[in-house]
Amino acid sequence: MAERKSLIKIKPKRYKDGEIVKVSFMVMHPMDTGMGKDKKTKEIIPAKYINSVKFVYNGKEITNMTVWESLSVNPVFTTYMKINGKGNLTITYTDNTGEVHETTKKIKPKG
Amino acid sequence: MQRRDFFKKIGSVTAVAAVMPVMSFAADAKPVSPNKMSYETALNAITNGKTPKKSNKVSLKVPEIAENGAVVPVTVNVESPMTENDYVKSIHVLNTKNGNSRCIDVNLTPANGKAMFSTRIKLGGTQDVVAVVELSNGEFLIASQNVKVTIGGCG
Repeated sequence: MAERKSLIKIKPKRYKDGEIVKVSFMVMHPMDTGMGKDKKTKEIIPAKYINSVKFVYNGKEITNMTVWESLSVNPVFTTYMKINGKGNLTITYTDNTGEVHETTKKIKPKG
Repeated sequence: MQRRDFFKKIGSVTAVAAVMPVMSFAADAKPVSPNKMSYETALNAITNGKTPKKSNKVSLKVPEIAENGAVVPVTVNVESPMTENDYVKSIHVLNTKNGNSRCIDVNLTPANGKAMFSTRIKLGGTQDVVAVVELSNGEFLIASQNVKVTIGGCG
């Protein structure tokens, strides 16, 4: 199994149409600031941090974030979202090195 | 004249010798943050020169004493109806003493339903964490709190 890089969590797990739910997006990312040194080799670790995060729900952009390097290692982004019918929630992050990663979660309101 | 030249040469050599250790020291110093930005310029860039108001509507939740500066949880909650006419446009999280003062800018839309954002940030020492909120009518609200970072014990 490939290593899991990111995860979308929705709280509560069961939700109805029109309900406001909490969405957490967790990423496995080093978030190097370009200022830290490797303890063994004493070399400066090059900067590698997330630049931007986008929440897209049913083709409509809900939230976009501009991120700087002062976020913690393996950051978590939590906001609220209004459920508006069946669809997909796609969260994309972009790196300062050009890495792009996308995660999708199916939204299935019940009742 | 010969004697003068001799002293001139000696002078230049000592000058170079005096500069050399300074340069080597500079190379050893801490690397500068790639996008260095002071708190004042960051705040100016966000508000475009407007002065943000202190408000009870913004609640910033940060621990007063952080045991580890590498992981400081931050939660910003704004009281807002989040309708098409009146919603929170963006939430900015800033710090006052890190190399780069900007942590994150979050642009919200009415589809969020609730103006709340939380994440975890790094703090390089005891300083203030500031949340700047932009409303849809162009107003800016601000909330700040001091965080004591006690890494290394004996705080």
